[in-house]
Amino acid sequence: MAANLIESIVKILFIFSVNIGFFSPILGWVERKQSALMQDRVGANRADVCGFTLIGLFHPIADAIKVLTKEDFIPEGADRLFHTIAPFISLTPAIITFAVIPFGGQYELFGHHVNLIIADLDVGILFVFAFASLASFGSVLAGWSSNNNWSFLGGLRASAQMLSYEVVMGLNIIGVIMVYGTLRLSQIGAMQADFFNWGIFLQPVGFVLFFTCAIAENKRAPFDVAEAESELVAGYFTEYSGMKFVMFWMGEFLEIVTIGALVTTMFFGAWHLPFVSDQMLLNYFRFAGPNGAASLAIVVNIITFFSKVIFFIWLQMTIRWTLPRFRYDQVMRLGWKMFLPIALINIFITGVVILAK
Amino acid sequence: MSDSAKDLHSEYMVINMGPSHPVTHGTVKFLLTLEGETIIDMKVDIGFLHRGFEKMCENGTWEQVMPYTDRLNYVSPLINNVGYALAVEKLVGIDVPERCKYIRVIASELSRISDHYTNIAAGAMEVGGFTAFLYFVEARELVWDLIEMLCGARVTSNYVRIGGVKSDLPDGFKDKTRDVFKKCRKLWADVNKLLTKNRIFIDRVRNVGIMPPDEAIAWGFTGPCLRACGIPYDVRKFHPYLVYDQMDFEVPVGEKGDNFDRYLVRMEEINQSMRIVEQALEKIPSGPINVNMPEYRWQSKEDISTRIESLIFHFKTVTEGIKPPPGEIYSAVEGANGELGFYLVSDGSGKPYKCRVRPPCFPLTAAMPKMVKGGFIADIVPTFDMINMIGGECDR
Amino acid sequence: MGIPIGKLKPKKVRKNIDLTLWERLYIFEIIRGMTVTTKHFMANLVGFVLHAKGKKRNIITVYYPEEKVELPPAYRGRPVLVMRENGKERCVACGLCEKICPASAISIIAEENENGDRYPASYLLDMSRCVFCGFCEEVCPKEAIVMSSEYEGLAKRDRNDLLCTKEMLLRTENSVKGRIEYIRRIYAKCNY
Repeated sequence: MAANLIESIVKILFIFSVNIGFFSPILGWVERKQSALMQDRVGANRADVCGFTLIGLFHPIADAIKVLTKEDFIPEGADRLFHTIAPFISLTPAIITFAVIPFGGQYELFGHHVNLIIADLDVGILFVFAFASLASFGSVLAGWSSNNNWSFLGGLRASAQMLSYEVVMGLNIIGVIMVYGTLRLSQIGAMQADFFNWGIFLQPVGFVLFFTCAIAENKRAPFDVAEAESELVAGYFTEYSGMKFVMFWMGEFLEIVTIGALVTTMFFGAWHLPFVSDQMLLNYFRFAGPNGAASLAIVVNIITFFSKVIFFIWLQMTIRWTLPRFRYDQVMRLGWKMFLPIALINIFITGVVILAK
Repeated sequence: MSDSAKDLHSEYMVINMGPSHPVTHGTVKFLLTLEGETIIDMKVDIGFLHRGFEKMCENGTWEQVMPYTDRLNYVSPLINNVGYALAVEKLVGIDVPERCKYIRVIASELSRISDHYTNIAAGAMEVGGFTAFLYFVEARELVWDLIEMLCGARVTSNYVRIGGVKSDLPDGFKDKTRDVFKKCRKLWADVNKLLTKNRIFIDRVRNVGIMPPDEAIAWGFTGPCLRACGIPYDVRKFHPYLVYDQMDFEVPVGEKGDNFDRYLVRMEEINQSMRIVEQALEKIPSGPINVNMPEYRWQSKEDISTRIESLIFHFKTVTEGIKPPPGEIYSAVEGANGELGFYLVSDGSGKPYKCRVRPPCFPLTAAMPKMVKGGFIADIVPTFDMINMIGGECDR
Repeated sequence: MGIPIGKLKPKKVRKNIDLTLWERLYIFEIIRGMTVTTKHFMANLVGFVLHAKGKKRNIITVYYPEEKVELPPAYRGRPVLVMRENGKERCVACGLCEKICPASAISIIAEENENGDRYPASYLLDMSRCVFCGFCEEVCPKEAIVMSSEYEGLAKRDRNDLLCTKEMLLRTENSVKGRIEYIRRIYAKCNY
């Protein structure tokens, strides 16, 4: 019992430190630097401690100090309660969804069964969707409570866009669920031990659609109509400042990580290296004894998983800084008139193939 | 559906877009009446950058107007310089030396390139393509390096003088231009790949802000926006000034008059302008760059410091200003946005009696409601950018 | 003069009004765009971030306070007064710069010294009005005021600090030697 508790706490702390402590500050830096390199610029590199700039790595710290000392501004006529809780509603789902994403296999460590997932729910995917859809409340409430016409328009756009793309995203997942026959993400991951069993080979269309819809769900370019800065000033978070503004930001960045993790788990072999199963890993590390082998395998799993996640973060950033923005009606048309039929056809074809086997 | 929509209590949203809104750069205000996202009505409110240019001109001598013209269309100041100088020269009736004409052509075309770069870059940025924006800003930076080498300043050039130009082409200008154009062409190709066939971009600009050719003429469109409608009107071709009639370049035209055409026309014009600069640099003759008429062009430093008559005359021309004969004149050049005209009236004193500018973007801005009414809020963004309203020029 | 309308063969830039099938499919053009940006990313990663120390960086940005841009000789910075060898200004207070300045930034009070030479008892240049047009340099018959290549120190907390007196404007001849030679060249007689 105590061992289970310790295991859970260690995993939660690990995911928390990786997400909040590493990804969310570092992604701000990554976004700046990557966009800078793509655009022939230098990027932020001026914050220094004792003359060392560390290629701009102090900027997240400087930013944190800045936002913490900023005035927390609530506009006149705004709904104070909803204006305050909206950023929390936006941020929380992004953190919570990581609970059901596996970042490694299952091992015996010191006679204790270790499963590298915080909560191995049997409805893992549904849990992700349930919480992801909660995030839309954040933007709607933010837009509505700000008492600003631009925020209001942004909130409307955000709600319509997120609801539409959730439908398509859900339909995409059905293909994955049909192929693997389970909703449990750790099982989906485990079934991809064989390289040719990876989701990308079984569901290529599903991958493209899911990835696109996930970016749309996250409201990043090219789907950032809800916060389109040239049209709606800043969309639903026009009236936010300081820490609350950063919460929307952090929510967005954490969702990038979540999307990367989900795509990795469902389509890119989760924690598996190509052609290397967990058992083979344990065999490689036999020299370290059973416990040492398991620990090393866990480390390899985690590194593999997060390398893939980082690759998908890079991909999302590249997309974000390459493409222009859709128009609002075009986003809707794309979702309902193009992605929805394709998703349905994808389900149909998947079903036919499964039956034919 | 329609019945229930009628019963619903709904009202239009009236919203101020600008004067300080990310899209209304150049400071302009749109008063929008919206039904959802659709624009029902739009009123354009200009004048936020009014500095009294025309009145200011009346208080200085004819030469002193030159720095003011830099601030008209501040993205292509050299064309304004050239336009004003040509107008005054037409009023006076002087003909500048051949080399000066070539230098002026080079200067105006460099300016035009930088203006089109800025325009397309800003347009791309506002529809979200930030990378394309920075590629063209980088290219513009390189072109501005050339302009800085030529004039001594990047934006406030003050380069052209009545009866000449300030200085000759600097050493190594030709080689530097060749290098810069090579890099610019590479960046142009990159932006072309990023935008021209990208459906997301095409969807944003295609069939948005349509202006039929006859109405475009009625509104007073000129320049790339008129050419986008399919009318090949270009002052450089139809009323050639300087040495444009000796240059080999094509006039790009669009088909439909929408924003995509405007974008394509501008992209092509960048290439044509580069061709003109290269040709001019090849053909440029040697010789003087200023007219030798001390009553209109200040004399050389050598004369002033060695000859007492020159010195006395120099004092006279500087303090009294040049004195064009009484009369009025309209002279137009092809600015980056269209026909940039100067209407000058002289009463024979040392100061302009009237200096009226025909800004190319004033009619374009006036036609904004026509172009976006019935469209979406998001359509304002590319339309307003592609007409390239420059506050300094429109409001003066 | 000019080509009659209708005779000109314009260049049609728009190939097709409707989207082609290739353009209709988002994915290929998106991939093409991403190859462009990735190419820039990789080129900058190698050519700029991982560049060898001491080699010239392959990027247009200049790290400003540490590095300075290379200014062309034509560059017009703030106007300064040129000093004679005896520490006095060259200026003879003729007032041409005051007259020509389009922004009326210059105001001179002239006086005569014991030899009967004119000199500016006060030469005020309001840098908050100056538009850096270079007319003062161009009309000056004594090469006494030149546009130096200084561009720093022009941002002040108080507008009154921008009001430059004669003492603040004086520079030795050596420090602006390049500029004097440059203006001699561009306003030389061969250009007329």
